[in-house]
Amino acid sequence: MSTQADPAQPAEAAGPVGGRADQAVVTAPHAATDGQVALTATGLTLGFGTRTILSDVCVDVRRGAVTALIGPTGSGKTTLLRTFNRMNDKVGGYHRKGDVLLDGRSIWHPGVEVMELRRRIGMLFQRPNPFPMSIMDNVAAGARAHRLVSKAGMKDVAERYLTAVGLWGAVKDRLKDSPFRLSGGQQQLLCLARALAVKPEVLLLDEPTSSLDPGATQAIEELVRTLAPDITVIIVTHNLAQALRVADRTIFLNQGRMVENGETRQLFEHPAEEETAQYVAGRFG
Amino acid sequence: MSFSTQVAGAAGETGSSPSPRRLAARARAALRRAEVFRWLGGASALIPVLALGFILVVLLVEAFPAIRINGLHFFYKSVWNEGASYNAQIVRTGGVEHLSGAYYGALPEIAGTLLTSLIALIIAVPVSIGAALVIVERLPRRVASVIGVFLELLAGIPSVIVGLWGALTFGPFIAHHITPVIARNMPDVPVLSYFRGAPGNGEGLLTSGLVLSIMIIPIVASTTRDLVRQVPILPREGAIALGMSDAQCARRVTLPWVGAGIVGAVVLGLGRALGETMAVAMTCGVQLTAVPGNIYTTMTTIAATIFQYLDTAFLDGTGFAVRTVAELALVLMVITLAVNIAARWLVRKVSGTALPVGRGV
Repeated sequence: MSTQADPAQPAEAAGPVGGRADQAVVTAPHAATDGQVALTATGLTLGFGTRTILSDVCVDVRRGAVTALIGPTGSGKTTLLRTFNRMNDKVGGYHRKGDVLLDGRSIWHPGVEVMELRRRIGMLFQRPNPFPMSIMDNVAAGARAHRLVSKAGMKDVAERYLTAVGLWGAVKDRLKDSPFRLSGGQQQLLCLARALAVKPEVLLLDEPTSSLDPGATQAIEELVRTLAPDITVIIVTHNLAQALRVADRTIFLNQGRMVENGETRQLFEHPAEEETAQYVAGRFG
Repeated sequence: MSFSTQVAGAAGETGSSPSPRRLAARARAALRRAEVFRWLGGASALIPVLALGFILVVLLVEAFPAIRINGLHFFYKSVWNEGASYNAQIVRTGGVEHLSGAYYGALPEIAGTLLTSLIALIIAVPVSIGAALVIVERLPRRVASVIGVFLELLAGIPSVIVGLWGALTFGPFIAHHITPVIARNMPDVPVLSYFRGAPGNGEGLLTSGLVLSIMIIPIVASTTRDLVRQVPILPREGAIALGMSDAQCARRVTLPWVGAGIVGAVVLGLGRALGETMAVAMTCGVQLTAVPGNIYTTMTTIAATIFQYLDTAFLDGTGFAVRTVAELALVLMVITLAVNIAARWLVRKVSGTALPVGRGV
């Protein structure tokens, strides 16, 4: 990500915004102690160089639910998502205020090992990103790295997780093949299997279907529904219909601020904020 | 505005002077130009093919008599004897003139070539890959580009200067301060026993290998750096997001992504090491007739021998010594070509794509 100030970004986006963000602060402290909450961001302000992406974001993410992150381009959805597994830490010019708690403990606590954190909080990207190794090795790559599986157990792991994502039938005869010969949707399912194989508690999905055709999109969406409640899912999406289809709860971000966080249906049908109403009605974004 | 004037001008020109002769001349000129370029292009494309073929044919013709007389023992004997050159008794064997007693076995040269290159690769490959990864993934851009400049400068140092440094400074330094300790303490087990024995005076196999490694590191490292830079961020982020360490990400994702190219980079370096003449000639200690018994002893390589022995070879009035030098050159050429072909095969096995670099000779 560029550390340069983006001229297209309105200057107001950088400044702290009162009102609605303050309301969220009120919910945060009790949320952190609530057993129902898996992830909490408290007063999270974050940026790169002179550019501030997130301003004082306070959200809590329900355990075992599917939560959609929606908002217009540049609203900070992906940045927030990548903060949850500390993927932003090494980006140039990164600076942060506030905190993110996983089960009540800061993810930046010195006792938190970042690689173990990322095992617990998995991620699926906008485009499929298989590794340059066989399909079987792809599925087991993370599990091998975390020593969750022996070399001999790799095939079992591959079968279990490829079955879980519904890909086993299609690839069982070519486990040694390159994953790059699979279709885009199959590759994304493979990446999902790979992410599941390290037994994550939280799964971050960054517009996982934006590069896929409708059929593959449907397959991923159906899978996401089945992941909860064992896994807490946070899905960034541009597609409001997708949020309605898959998410129990929805968080609306705009210009780096958390505007509204609630039950998906409630948020879409009876939004508490005028901004949310305008966005879900398609008037901007 | 200018466009419309141009169009108007062109229309006016054709309108006022429809001279078909001028048009035809212009067309002919264009045709000629196109022809010329086609011929030039074809000729340029043929030049590498012809050059390689020509060199091979000349070497074969020059070396053929030596190949017949020297026979197979050229490849397994350790002898270098041009025969009785003082009272010049000329003998004719199978129609080929040579001095009486002439006997050549180039095993030390062949072994020296392979051993120095092996040492150079063992050191240069890990160093280069590590350096490339650090430069691309760890260092700030500005520092990385400064180091890149130094890498390219290092690659451009004339080999005679590297050789001089090796012979005057580096060789004696390791012979006095480093190799005696290693030679004394290395256990007497197979392979490692090769590091035991007399530590020498700084001219020999180890010094030549190390000097070669310094000469090929910039080639391998800068090529590998450019390759690693091309690895897309997405699969690397995928590995990091899965909780892999940087080392695991490099070993399992980044390097395999460009594995074929790295093989090519290594072959590029190996080609340089196999053929490097001056630096090795200055640091090898020139031992024409013995395969090095330990890693410190004096030795020679094919390239160094061709260079150092050529003057002496011209003193052989029968020309047989020169023909033997040509045979030596042919052996080197076959080794480098074989390495290149093997690398291409390896690359195809690794990736199924074409080799990005194939200029190892």
